[in-house]
Amino acid sequence: MMNPVQPQACTILSVKKESLHEWTFRVTSDAKPAHGQFMQLSIPMIGEAPISVSAQGDGWLEFTIRSVGKVTDVIFQKEAGDTLFLRGPYGKGWPVEQFRDKHLVVITGGTGLAPVRSMLNMLAETPGYVRSVHLISGFKNADGIVFHKELEEWKQKFTTIYALDHDTMEGWRTGLVTTFVSEIPFDAFRGEYVVVVVGPPPMMKFTGLALMDQGVEPEKVYMSFERKMSCAIGKCGHCRIDEVYVCLDGPVFPYTVARDLID
Amino acid sequence: MGYSLSVSQADTVLHELQRDYRIYAPKRFPKQGRYSDTDIIRYAEVNSFADIVWDIKSDYPAKEVITPIQQAIFYFTEDEYRASKVKSKPILLLARPCDINAQRIQARIYAGNGGYDDLYYSRIRELVKFAVMDCNGGDDTCFCVSMGSNRTDDYALALKFSEDGVLVQVVDEDLVSYFEGMPQVDYTHTFVEENELKVTVPDLSDKNVRKALKTHPVWQEYNSRCISCGACTVACSTCTCFTTRDVIYGDNPEVGERRRVTASCQIAGFDQMAGQKEFRSTAAERMRYKVLHKFHDYKARFGQEHMCVGCGRCTRRCPELISISATVNKVSAAVDEIRAALNR
Amino acid sequence: MNQDINIKKVRLNCYRQSKVPGEFMLQMRVPGGTVDAKYLSYVEYIAKTWGDGNFHFGTRQTFDITGISYENIPAVNEYLETYIKEVDAQLCNVDMDTVAHEPHPWDPKEGYPTIGARNITACIGNYHCICGNCNTFELARKIEPIIFPSHYHIKINIAGCPNDCNKAHLCDFGIIGVARMTYHPERCIACGACVRACQHGATRVLSANPAIGKVEKDPCCCVGCGECVRVCPTSAWTRQETKFYRVILGGRTGRQTPRTGKMFLNWATEDVILGVLKNWQKFSAWVMDYKPEYLHGGHLIDRAGYKKFKEIILDGVKLNPECLVAEDIFWHETEYRSNFNVKPLSMHHTAGPKG
Repeated sequence: MMNPVQPQACTILSVKKESLHEWTFRVTSDAKPAHGQFMQLSIPMIGEAPISVSAQGDGWLEFTIRSVGKVTDVIFQKEAGDTLFLRGPYGKGWPVEQFRDKHLVVITGGTGLAPVRSMLNMLAETPGYVRSVHLISGFKNADGIVFHKELEEWKQKFTTIYALDHDTMEGWRTGLVTTFVSEIPFDAFRGEYVVVVVGPPPMMKFTGLALMDQGVEPEKVYMSFERKMSCAIGKCGHCRIDEVYVCLDGPVFPYTVARDLID
Repeated sequence: MGYSLSVSQADTVLHELQRDYRIYAPKRFPKQGRYSDTDIIRYAEVNSFADIVWDIKSDYPAKEVITPIQQAIFYFTEDEYRASKVKSKPILLLARPCDINAQRIQARIYAGNGGYDDLYYSRIRELVKFAVMDCNGGDDTCFCVSMGSNRTDDYALALKFSEDGVLVQVVDEDLVSYFEGMPQVDYTHTFVEENELKVTVPDLSDKNVRKALKTHPVWQEYNSRCISCGACTVACSTCTCFTTRDVIYGDNPEVGERRRVTASCQIAGFDQMAGQKEFRSTAAERMRYKVLHKFHDYKARFGQEHMCVGCGRCTRRCPELISISATVNKVSAAVDEIRAALNR
Repeated sequence: MNQDINIKKVRLNCYRQSKVPGEFMLQMRVPGGTVDAKYLSYVEYIAKTWGDGNFHFGTRQTFDITGISYENIPAVNEYLETYIKEVDAQLCNVDMDTVAHEPHPWDPKEGYPTIGARNITACIGNYHCICGNCNTFELARKIEPIIFPSHYHIKINIAGCPNDCNKAHLCDFGIIGVARMTYHPERCIACGACVRACQHGATRVLSANPAIGKVEKDPCCCVGCGECVRVCPTSAWTRQETKFYRVILGGRTGRQTPRTGKMFLNWATEDVILGVLKNWQKFSAWVMDYKPEYLHGGHLIDRAGYKKFKEIILDGVKLNPECLVAEDIFWHETEYRSNFNVKPLSMHHTAGPKG
């Protein structure tokens, strides 16, 4: 009998410090996750946690981890050559096929950038896949900014608004991401658009409301959820909201579903 | 085939069966109850007819045999997670219809949800044959008839107990040989058709009604009444939730085991992610989450039937005397109120 | 009212002197504070027939009936025969024809033979209470024939759990029902309810060990309350079948040196408790040179010294393996006047046989 929760050993190729609290681990893996899917990452003794895949390449995956919780506290002691354990990928990622030839709006809060990073990299490398990319990326403060290199590169290829919640910094705007939603030229998109929102629960909630205020059609908005999970295969029950299991039916949900999910 | 066995004949058959089966049944654990000089009845391997508690409902459900409160799922070393092993000897599980129906309900999660078949559930479940225990309608917390879980056809044996012995209907032909030479009678098992307690499950098919119910004041009383101990979900015949936990052996952090431990949506922290606040931080919200799962959400996902089998064990085990049937009736009243308001 | 009444004799008969000359208050023993409710009709009958119609709950759980005239005492005593026989002789197996275990014929028409050994009080215990660890009144009924009838004074309070609602800490010999627990790690879900309960309501002996996903216990400081059992959602904590008791010794109230009792025995079984109490008469007799006087039990321990008390009271008692005994006891008295015990040698009390 197959064991769907069997972790596989993999080797850490590199560790990169993204910000004060966020580190990116590149590990060996032959898995081919879809953009927006997640894996179960485990460290013996500490346990397992769902982590979204923040980049991928031939034979490797990247995970960007924030230093909270048991798993992540210990993972910061790991270095290249050490072993981690993975299983997955799990869940439903971004419906990237449906984004073809549309104007794509991506709105992220903090490390919510990680679950869209691999998709944005793909779009940066594949001109013409979508008509345009508008990226609004907000961070609490300068210390929290991740993926500096990509953010610079994306400036060249996408229309970007980078913001800090309260602080001021050159080249960055100040304010919550919701305040910049009105700057997206939705009228110019003539209905040919898709919006992707990822971030902490309150950020997603208020961004959803701000989008609706702009007359955005709810069917064209997608959000990615993050919930506690033990199994990632619909057994442990931790991530269930109503009749939905975030691990199976998400983490990406259409806004029409997401807005009605009350924990 | 039907048999009428005296106590000593029942013991003979039980010992014959033990050659090929581990026999699990409700067993009394004297003075191990919550309060002094009270007993606990829970599932354990039995070795004689006298071990079997058949006249009252067990405090804990039969699910503990298949999905124990705690089990090792992996043993790990520095570079490997090795799945634990289980005994391969088949299990004969004596259970009332509620407990047998509960396994069908649990299987949709453990062995079906998302297309994933859980090894740790299925490898034990496939060893199990049920012997249905006669139930006369249980106690004043039972409402299996309301939930449609009073009958079952998933059994190899049917047993009707008395002080003097047991009447047996052998359904599984593989088990006939164990009864060789025993006195035969005509016995066909029947099921209880009425409980003292009746519960009307509210119709929650309307999304707007559900939305309004989530914030309805009906849940508020549980903020002062419910202590979020989780005894209800541990006692529940159908609750499946678990957490995985890594433990280490001695002082070597590289060697240990990964355990699966029963979890409860009623206990604080169930939905808490590291460094974040809980989504459901009050007893009322947790109660709402549990009740709606049992009486709407499960059926909405899997169709066919509600999750609750009406065994009443959550009510029996609640130290704060919160009755699930009373709760459902209060919710029904709230739903009527909501519907009236929506139609206005 | 001008009557010649020997109030000491009347007191031994369990009638207490009233401020109204010639009137008395009857104290009916209720061992363990629990009897069949039918006896309330006896109380009512006595109060209405010979008393002033009132009834008082005695502070030591006796049925107290006030306003009984001296001349009615013989009639009340005659009426009491059934009650004393049913409650003490039958329910508690008291040998009424003894005093301090020595043969002493009892006249059933004469009421209670002694007042020295006070009514044994008890909380309701595990007969009803969700906290109780033992059946308090059943234990009281086993102790009653050991201490009664006797002229030697002893106050015994039984509490069903360390919450000590019945104040075992404020009597000569306080008995507290305690439980020793079994931990079933395979049933533990590490929810922490027991850890919090112990911290909140007991002695903080439990702690969660995340490395093993289990609860650890510092057994030395466990008070045996059983709160961990009560709050556990999975029955991972259970009480052991054997009942255990803690004995709190030498507590008292009073005008001179009130004090809280101190622990004498911990984790003693019922056999040990009964065995120890069987030596109480012997100890009291030794201290007072076999001449009972109206002296509280705790003072006898003071006179003999704890070590002498321990020697006599444990004589021949087989302690269960878990049982712990205080090597010494240092009471802390409230001294209403400072240096209360410092006085001329001639004023000192002595203990033991004279000469």
